Amino acid sequence: MIVASLTLKNISKSFGKVAVLREVNVHVEEGAFCVLLGPSGCGKSTLLNIIAGLTPQDSGSVLVDGHPVDRLTPRERDVAMVFQSYALYPHMTVGQNLGFGLRMRGVSGEEIEQKVRDVATLLGIEKLLGRKPRELSGGQRQRVAMGRALVRQPKIFLFDEPLSNLDARLRANVRLELKQIHQQLRGTVVYVTHDQVEAMTLGDQIVVLHEGRVRQEGSPEDIYSRPADRFVASFLGTPEMNLYSGRVTNREGRAVFEGKGFSLDLAVTLLEHVNEEIEIGIRPEDVRINDAESPGLQAEVEMVSNIGSEIYAHARIGGARITVKAPKEARLNKGQTLSLATVPGALHVFYKGRRL
Amino acid sequence: MRHWGQEGIEEGMIRILRVVGILFFFVMVGFPFYWMVVSSLKSLQELLLHPENLGLEIGKLDFTAYGEVLFEHGFLQYISNSVYVAVLTVLLSLSLATLGGYAVTRLYFRGQAFMSLSILVIYMFPAIVLVIPLYVVFSWLGLRDSIHVLILVYLAQTLPVALYMLRSYFQNLPAEIEYAGLTDGCTRLGVIWRIVIPLSAPALASVALYTFMIAWNEFLFAFMFLDSPEKFTLSRGVVQLAGSVHLSKQLVMAASVLVTVPIVVLFLFFERHLVRGLTAGAMKG
Repeated sequence: MIVASLTLKNISKSFGKVAVLREVNVHVEEGAFCVLLGPSGCGKSTLLNIIAGLTPQDSGSVLVDGHPVDRLTPRERDVAMVFQSYALYPHMTVGQNLGFGLRMRGVSGEEIEQKVRDVATLLGIEKLLGRKPRELSGGQRQRVAMGRALVRQPKIFLFDEPLSNLDARLRANVRLELKQIHQQLRGTVVYVTHDQVEAMTLGDQIVVLHEGRVRQEGSPEDIYSRPADRFVASFLGTPEMNLYSGRVTNREGRAVFEGKGFSLDLAVTLLEHVNEEIEIGIRPEDVRINDAESPGLQAEVEMVSNIGSEIYAHARIGGARITVKAPKEARLNKGQTLSLATVPGALHVFYKGRRL
Repeated sequence: MRHWGQEGIEEGMIRILRVVGILFFFVMVGFPFYWMVVSSLKSLQELLLHPENLGLEIGKLDFTAYGEVLFEHGFLQYISNSVYVAVLTVLLSLSLATLGGYAVTRLYFRGQAFMSLSILVIYMFPAIVLVIPLYVVFSWLGLRDSIHVLILVYLAQTLPVALYMLRSYFQNLPAEIEYAGLTDGCTRLGVIWRIVIPLSAPALASVALYTFMIAWNEFLFAFMFLDSPEKFTLSRGVVQLAGSVHLSKQLVMAASVLVTVPIVVLFLFFERHLVRGLTAGAMKG
């Protein structure tokens, strides 16, 4: 299998007056699984179409193995794409759908048959080869769409939210399967999604896009534990990170965050921002619940949500709200007072939107 | 006792109107058609002796009118001319309208919106306005008495509507299927040939039928442009026959049946294909 690296250099694209992509730079190593993550309308699908050669960019360059491919047609770029809508050919059988790309590239009939059968076996759809797409369930169609890309063994795989039309249970299964297949085949993948769980589980590398800009690029751990800005911090993680804006004050040489009706100790180095507005963030799982008597942030429980595997407490601290992950065995009641402490080093500090 | 409310009255009215409508069309269309077929199957004698007889006796069926029309009045030639003209018009219309309709829906080029709009504007010119100038122009060019020029003129009439019909159909085809084709290694023409055309079969069938009917039935241009009897199309031939000195009704009726029946048969054959959508199952659905 030929594996290629992919580089996007200063890609910009506008539709009319709307700038969809602004100076996007991404590098994907060969064999890596890169996830483009962002809310809908952030330009990620457009970026995918530009990589495939289906939409021309206004400026910038797409490089495969270091060579610009901007002047090549989709056919010449040798990429395969899985579409959100699956986009199967309705007038062809599953087998013909799978073999179409190979047929267009002049592969011999015998070889096509062999490869189609291999991929069908890999995906467990060998019994469906003679059916038309309209005779398949949503999950089966999704498999055929993936198979159509896999069978070609292209230089780069592009996935455009391929799981978003499946129900939650099936999605989780296919997600794992996809990860397995990738570990087995080691193709270069660019995968677009707005689902952070997909991004975290699948990606070797995550690129967070927002309003046409790359907000952060890095490993899943990196992006989750060291979000580069306020947007990335709030976009990743369920429930969302607790974010508070306030002011840095100097209390006898200690840096203290003054929020709405509560205060929190900060690292001493933040004294250089004394009297300035900052934002702090803390993930629900980074808050510890101590005995009510021990010192800490006093919080009053307003609501408890138990989702089975874990319990979240939504509580009030001063004039703000906080979401806290509690141990499964915790007994929490509405109106109860908790004493909260943050896990050392888990505080995220943002100054003018950027991480400090 | 049943209460006649507002809805009951409305429903009754609709039912009555429906029956009246069907009856009206049956009388206006069905009766002349029936009369035409019946008359063509009777002998001249029978027609003259019993003009009021609407019935038809199976034992007395007389096909001599058809034989005469076909072999003595040149209708075999006219039929083959009409078939030639209509089939060629259909093929040219389909290929040009497919390419053109695809271009204005999927490709982006300067003047695309203008092109798209002008398609219908062209159709707004009534044929009667164009026939005299065209007559003059083609006479100058010495191209008037030609079947191929006739095809050209028919194309000018059928293309706008064909383009319009196909364009709206293409607009509803999911673009992602074409994208899939392109990444799978098709060229643009390959996408049109292997994906767009098979998926547009119902629309193409409608366009083909429409174009065929126009070309088959057209009279005005055929009447103005064609002088030599060996180049006559069917409709032109019928008029020639009706205007000839020894007019006999059953001959004209037989000729008219020859003009009408192919269209009816064609329509019945294509009808099933016209509405059925083929894209079912492509998308997540």
